[in-house]
Amino acid sequence: MPRAVRGVLITCEPAIKSIIVHLDSENHDIIIEDLDETHLFVKENMIQVLKAKLEEHLKETYRPEEPLQDSDKEY
Amino acid sequence: VVDQIRLWQLENERMSTQAGFLFKDFDSVEEYTALSSYAEEIGVLEWKSDKKGLFFVSKYEQIRDYLKSRKSAK
Repeated sequence: MPRAVRGVLITCEPAIKSIIVHLDSENHDIIIEDLDETHLFVKENMIQVLKAKLEEHLKETYRPEEPLQDSDKEY
Repeated sequence: VVDQIRLWQLENERMSTQAGFLFKDFDSVEEYTALSSYAEEIGVLEWKSDKKGLFFVSKYEQIRDYLKSRKSAK
C-alpha cells in the first residue's frame, strides 16, 4: 500500500539545491527526500525557516559591487 | 533595503515551491506505473522518478479514490 506524505516540492537550480542540502546537514530538519539535481521534497512547516536561512546564506556570499555605507563589516 | 529586494529576486528566480503530496512505498512497479499515469492523466502530476518509484502531486483526493476503487475491484 503506497503512502502519501504531505510536504513541499522545491524546484531550483543545482547551486541553490546544494546550499539547501548544506543548510539541512546542520540539523537534518528540512529535507524529507532528495529527489534529483533540481528537486527536493521538504517539510511544509520549515519553508519559512528555509527561506530565511537561504537569504542569510546568499547575503553572506553575495558581494554588492559597492560596499554599503552602513556596513559593519571590517575590511 | 535595495540589497534585500535584490536578494529576494535572486531567490524567486532561482527557486519555486509548491505544496502537495509525495507518493512512495509502492508494492509493485505496476502499482507505481498505474498511479503515476493516472496522476498525469488528471493533471496533478508535478514530478516523478520511474527509477526511484516516487511521484509528487499537487492534489491527492482523486488518487486516493482511484486507489480505493482499484482495491475494491480486485
